[in-house]
Parts: sequence; C-alpha cells; structure tokens
Amino acid sequence: MDYRSDIFYIRQVQDGKINAFSHLIDRHKDKAYNLAFRICANREEAEEIAQDAFIKAYRSLNNFKMKSSFATWLYRIVYNTAISLVRSRKNKILAIEEFPADAVDFLSSCGSQDEAVEEYRSSLVNFAMQKISEDERGLITLYYYNDLDLEEISKITGISRSNIKVKLYRARRKMAEIIGKTENKIVSYHG
Amino acid sequence: MDKQEKYDDDLLRTFLNPDRVERAPEGFTSKTITRIQIEKQSSSLARSFLGKNLVPMVSLAVFAALIIFSVALPANDINPAGSLLWGYLRNPGITLPAINNDFFQNLRVPGWIPYLFIGFLLLMFFDRILFGIFHKHSK
Repeated sequence: MDYRSDIFYIRQVQDGKINAFSHLIDRHKDKAYNLAFRICANREEAEEIAQDAFIKAYRSLNNFKMKSSFATWLYRIVYNTAISLVRSRKNKILAIEEFPADAVDFLSSCGSQDEAVEEYRSSLVNFAMQKISEDERGLITLYYYNDLDLEEISKITGISRSNIKVKLYRARRKMAEIIGKTENKIVSYHG
Repeated sequence: MDKQEKYDDDLLRTFLNPDRVERAPEGFTSKTITRIQIEKQSSSLARSFLGKNLVPMVSLAVFAALIIFSVALPANDINPAGSLLWGYLRNPGITLPAINNDFFQNLRVPGWIPYLFIGFLLLMFFDRILFGIFHKHSK
C-alpha cells in the first residue's frame, strides 16, 4: 500500500520525473474510468476519456496550484469531457427498454448466492442509470461511487450546491422508481 | 432529508455498491504513460528546433525588415513604390486638432534631449518585445 500523498508525487512530476505520474494514475484510474463509463456507457470511449484526462492533467501539472485536490481536478476534466462527448453524440445511449425479467435465471451460474445478489443489484443499477440523463448519471456516480460531498461535486461540475441537491433528489427518485418497478415485475414473473 | 429522500437514498445505497466500480482496463497506466512520453518527445523535438534557432530567426526577421525598409524608402524619388510610401509617411493626410504649444515653444532644453527621449522609447519598445518572446519561450 502506498501511503504517500498525491502532493508528493505531483512535486516529483514537477521536478521532471514522469514515472512518478504512474503512481497518480494507479491511484485514481478506476474512479476516473468509472465516472467516464457511467456517463457515456461505452468502455472504449470511457478509456479514451480517462486517458485524455490524465494526459491533460499531466500537461497542466506545472500550473496546478494545489488549491483543490488532484482527484477533484482530474474528475472535473473527466466529467466535462464525458458530458460534452455524450451531448455531441447524435445517437444517445441505446437504453434497453425493459429489464429482462428472466435475468435472474442467468444469475444461477454465479458461484455463491451473495455473488448472485451482488450481480443482480449491479445490473439493475446499470439498467436504472441508463434511464436518467448524463449529468444525473455523473452526479449519482460522484455522490455514491466516489463518495464526494456536495461541495466537492460543485467544484467538479460547476453546478451550485443547491442545484446539485435538487438534481440528486430527482435522479434518486427516478432510479428508486425504476428499481422498485423492475423488482415488482421480476417477483410477479417468478410467481 | 425528508422521508421520501431518505427512503430513496437507503435503497440506492443497498443496490449501489461503491466497491463495484468499473475498473480501468488492463495496461491502462502503461498505455497512458507511453502516450505521455511520445507526446513529450515530439513536443521537445519541435521545441528544441525553435529553441536553437530562435535568436538567429529573430535577427533574420529584423535584418529582412531593415532591408525592405531601405528598399522601400529611397533617399530620392526614383523608385515609384518607395516614393508612394515615403510620400504617405511624409504626409499621411491625418488632421490633428490644433493645440496650444506656447509652453513647449517657450521651453528651453538642450537639443539632444528629444533624441534621448526617443531613444528611450525605442529601447523600451524593443525590450518589451524581446522580453515577451524570450520569457514566454523560457516558460
């Protein structure tokens, strides 16, 4: 486990040691990739966005004033790139109309019951995520997956705290409704 | 948080496991570092050419500008293009409002002072340009 702070590696990179940047990538790549993936729902594009974000961050690292954390700064690049990519796409995400009611049957191939439950919940969350807008997906990811508070989310997205509260409320409501309805369908399908 | 909000939040926290983030693909770090290294190499190549040649290039540009001026502004009016330009420079056709310059007419200063003043202005002007070019480059 690497306990050195981001600032330690940032200073090393600023001193010309490129390889120190790989520690920063290793530390933040999963959350950066996950944020990009949740917004654009495409693995190749998410990888491209996350890589570009790290490269942009590297290029501007000499101007990094340490006023915000490296992660906040990085997520801001990822968030903005992913949102503009999705908005520029003519064909939005091809969302599945209905969650397959027999999906639970396929989960029987999972090793344990816990694993199957996790898998089921994860696919249900992915399904519900596709039904909300791209900026709502970004907010849900930053709040629940990246575990950030409203202040940090506001710095990343450029949306005011009060507006984030409202948007999060709506996004949660929509997702909860979709999850609830889908669960009811699955229960009635299995009698 | 009201009751509904709390219910939705609890439901999402049950379903959405923060440990189940989509992981970056295998080799992500090495690919990104390679891209950075390639970009750095190509930009340093371009910069090294400019860096090595910036001073002679600036000298060359100034030299060329002086030659053009010397050709375009002849001492006599033989060159028609030069005479046109020279004619315009002598009389640009701009009328300035008349100012009361009694103060300046009555002012007695040594004859070299205006040249010194113009010299300072020119030096300041070139200093700003060169500072801008080289300081930006050293950044």
